[in-house]
Amino acid sequence: MPLKHIKWITGFITALLILPIAIGLVGTLLPAFHYFPPLGEYGFSVSPWINVFSQGEFYAGLKLTLITGIGAPILALWLALSLLAWGYQRPFFKKIEALLSPILAIPHAAIAIGLLFLLSPSGWLVRLFSPWLTGFERPPNWITVQDPYGASLIFALIIKEMPYLLFVMLAAMKSIQARESIHACQALGYSRFTLWRKVLIPQLYPIIRLPIFIVVAFSLTVVDLALVIGPNTPSTLAVTLFRWFNDPDLTMRYTASAGAIALMITIAMVLGGWELAHRAFSAATRCERSNGKRRGASDTLLGAGVIIGLITLVSAFTALILLPFWSLAKRWRFPDTLPSQWTWVNIERAAPLLMELSANTLIIALFATVIACGISLLMLETKRHQQKSSTNHEQQHAFDWLIYVPILLPQIGFLFGLHVLLIYLNLNGDLCAIIALHLMYVLPYVYLTLKGPYLAYNEDYLLQANRLNHRPWRHYISVKLAMLKPALFTAFAMGFSVSIAQYLPTLIAGEGRYSTLTTEAVAQAASGDRKQVGSMAMLQALFPVMVFWLAQIIPSRWTTWRLATKKRIIKAFTKKDKTCSA
Amino acid sequence: MKKSFIAASIAAALALSSQAVLASQTQNSVSQDTWKNTLLEAKGQTVYFNAWGGADNINDYIQWAADRIKDEYDVTLKQVKLTDTSDAVNRVLAEKAAGKDSNGSIDLIWLNGENFRAMKDNHLLFGPFSQALPSYTQYVDENARQSLTQDFGTPVDGMESPWGMAQVIFMHDTATLSNPPKSIPELLTYAKAHPGRITYPEPPQFLGSTFLKQALYELSPHRKALSQAVNTVDFDKITAPLWTYLDQLHPVAWRSGQSFPSSSEEMMRLLDDQEIDVALSFDISAASVQIDKGNLPDTVRSYVFSGGTIGNTHFLAIPYNSGVKAGAQVVANFLLSPEAQIKKQTPTVWGDLSVLSYAKLSKDLQAKFDALPRGIATLNIEELGKTLPEPHASWVGALETEWRKRYAQ
Repeated sequence: MPLKHIKWITGFITALLILPIAIGLVGTLLPAFHYFPPLGEYGFSVSPWINVFSQGEFYAGLKLTLITGIGAPILALWLALSLLAWGYQRPFFKKIEALLSPILAIPHAAIAIGLLFLLSPSGWLVRLFSPWLTGFERPPNWITVQDPYGASLIFALIIKEMPYLLFVMLAAMKSIQARESIHACQALGYSRFTLWRKVLIPQLYPIIRLPIFIVVAFSLTVVDLALVIGPNTPSTLAVTLFRWFNDPDLTMRYTASAGAIALMITIAMVLGGWELAHRAFSAATRCERSNGKRRGASDTLLGAGVIIGLITLVSAFTALILLPFWSLAKRWRFPDTLPSQWTWVNIERAAPLLMELSANTLIIALFATVIACGISLLMLETKRHQQKSSTNHEQQHAFDWLIYVPILLPQIGFLFGLHVLLIYLNLNGDLCAIIALHLMYVLPYVYLTLKGPYLAYNEDYLLQANRLNHRPWRHYISVKLAMLKPALFTAFAMGFSVSIAQYLPTLIAGEGRYSTLTTEAVAQAASGDRKQVGSMAMLQALFPVMVFWLAQIIPSRWTTWRLATKKRIIKAFTKKDKTCSA
Repeated sequence: MKKSFIAASIAAALALSSQAVLASQTQNSVSQDTWKNTLLEAKGQTVYFNAWGGADNINDYIQWAADRIKDEYDVTLKQVKLTDTSDAVNRVLAEKAAGKDSNGSIDLIWLNGENFRAMKDNHLLFGPFSQALPSYTQYVDENARQSLTQDFGTPVDGMESPWGMAQVIFMHDTATLSNPPKSIPELLTYAKAHPGRITYPEPPQFLGSTFLKQALYELSPHRKALSQAVNTVDFDKITAPLWTYLDQLHPVAWRSGQSFPSSSEEMMRLLDDQEIDVALSFDISAASVQIDKGNLPDTVRSYVFSGGTIGNTHFLAIPYNSGVKAGAQVVANFLLSPEAQIKKQTPTVWGDLSVLSYAKLSKDLQAKFDALPRGIATLNIEELGKTLPEPHASWVGALETEWRKRYAQ
């Protein structure tokens, strides 16, 4: 990109990002110290903190949050790495890769509700074996979901996070020249799992460190998923805070704000601890990695991960396939494996709403993602310039970590602070505000997906084109962006699905005046009616799945289609010319 | 001669009565004029109605009302579907924080109890307005029910307009359970005999809190104290029997009291799946509606406890910063009209009890109410029996906090 004033552009966009983040933070920080003018509180005090630390639910919730928030990412990482090591570059793995996008695309709440139906004592798994095998005429009194240890929540989190990590890893594989390493190691006689463990994973980890951090922060702060499938006596800290923020007793807000700050500190500490643990771990295993043995006992760990990972994927798909069945069911009672009475009524009832909701959802997602792609390209270009000019390639710009702040912060406290800003600007309930808030959450994913391929792009193609004919803007688009098409489309699909899944940002910025498929689905999920949720989740999944599918189809066929269309146009014109001359 | 006498007396009578009519008309004309102005002002306004949106049939009813209001008054009603009413309370609060004292995002809000008290105490409401609504002056009898003027013990003072009435009902499947437990102690006996089949929604979900209040009413010997603010009485002493009871119930409850359903809807789902034997609801026609939708078997029936169950009224209020207060009042007035209340009480529509006084209705309208069909599983007014009043609003928070301290840590 032939850019001028690089420093100004970077500075401007960074400032544009800092402002909402800072205000969101301040809007949570002040009430945490009992400063809240709307309730007539102008004095500072630490009483909210005393309140938080005297609540037994805070400690109980924190404990659960730490168990689920650390357990889930570790397991998800293990399973994702195992699956990748097992299947990378094998033909059947392509099919599994294609299956990842529906899971990435489907909103958390829908997956949780599907899982709930799969795993609960009256759920589909028990139905499948009842009563002929288990003898259950009525569901057993088991605790298979919403268990007090959060195991079912961890499982649901893994289902959502493992495909994301796998997706990011697959994208990152291109930049570590994995194929060459695999060939070299195999020639030296290393077994598949061992070479991954000793050679590829240590190279891969630094590239995917940030996505892992995002996953950790998500696990620590998730609300909708935990509401549906998490334990509730006590619940995780994020859900407890959510309840406190919504308490009719408005003074609970102070305690909730202090709790939100405590949760932010927890996230920072967990991420710090995670990084230290990784360093300690890699130092401890360095000897083992370089001992030259072609096989190791810990290979079985990856082998076991493959089996569990596949079970996880299968149950995710079963849960997803079961949801649409609900939308066609009239009566579906325990122990029936399939509905006993079918009906179209559920879908008919949802149909008129569909048009309006889809329009809103698509407009928001489209604008947010296109803007995010534009900003990402701009920022990556300035980053490339800086890397070129400075000798220190590791130099990080403030922008690089700033964009991740919104997704690392707990939405529940941070967004309330932001809402006050929107009202000041008189932008509340405005479509622009929703798009802007979505942008904050879409941008990091788009930037992250695009960053690797963009910076790895061989600039010589562009230089060569410009030497032949100096048209920098035109060549930027027709050479560089054209070559980066697969990455661009994938980044777009990623951003698109992130936008569609947003619940709290849509609700807070839109003030409920703009309903999307997701806000509607979560509102329906609150009523626990699986038939409605089934129809909603199906519709909600449709668009992202389609976009992901198009993102895989279009780039490889683009040039063929473009040339064919060009040919046809030229043909049409030449024909015209001929008829004219004749 | 006789004829003319009759004619004269008729004329006199007419003259007298028309004078009386005239007098009352002048009295009414002031309020009618202001109401005319309100109607005029409301024309073309758009009212954002923030209402819990978790039930399809209720959303459909609101949509019906929106169409009628558009036709009749040229006011556009848009429902903002909430998952929790306190979201709307928070939003008004955020707007006050930002100094947005006019043209707020919420024009009408469906609420009662705690949320009303929070909004009223923090001066987030417009009013008083409800007592001046034509439907209110014409059809509502404030003395008919305590909950019309005392919303969970908080004086209403015209700051919210009544919309409907609710009472706790229980549901059971007659195919599996023919003789359901009809009191709080019987519930425990049943749970001990059939472990894992009894539960209640998790406080602070309002139905869960209501269950605690119901249990407290039946178990505590100090009933009168419940109508006083909680900080003026000995909470520990009064609630001690409740905690002893729950300590016994939880080990034999659904999922051993480790987790609780989140709402009435989830309880009905569990009842349908036969995970539990008794579900409860605050909506007297819930069972009929769900049977109709295929979410419950048609053998499910409603019942109430023999000692009565807790009931309350739900209301509509207008935030202080609404930009279309006239339009909001027009909507509140329409929703309180006999037409809207009859439609609302129709079991296949919603089945929510009317707040209008039967005695104040004309014969015509009375006949219409009488003609309303009832679903196969809906109780009539006599069957609903005695309504227990809500304890003072301060009890909700105190009970919830204590419950969470004991069972959620």
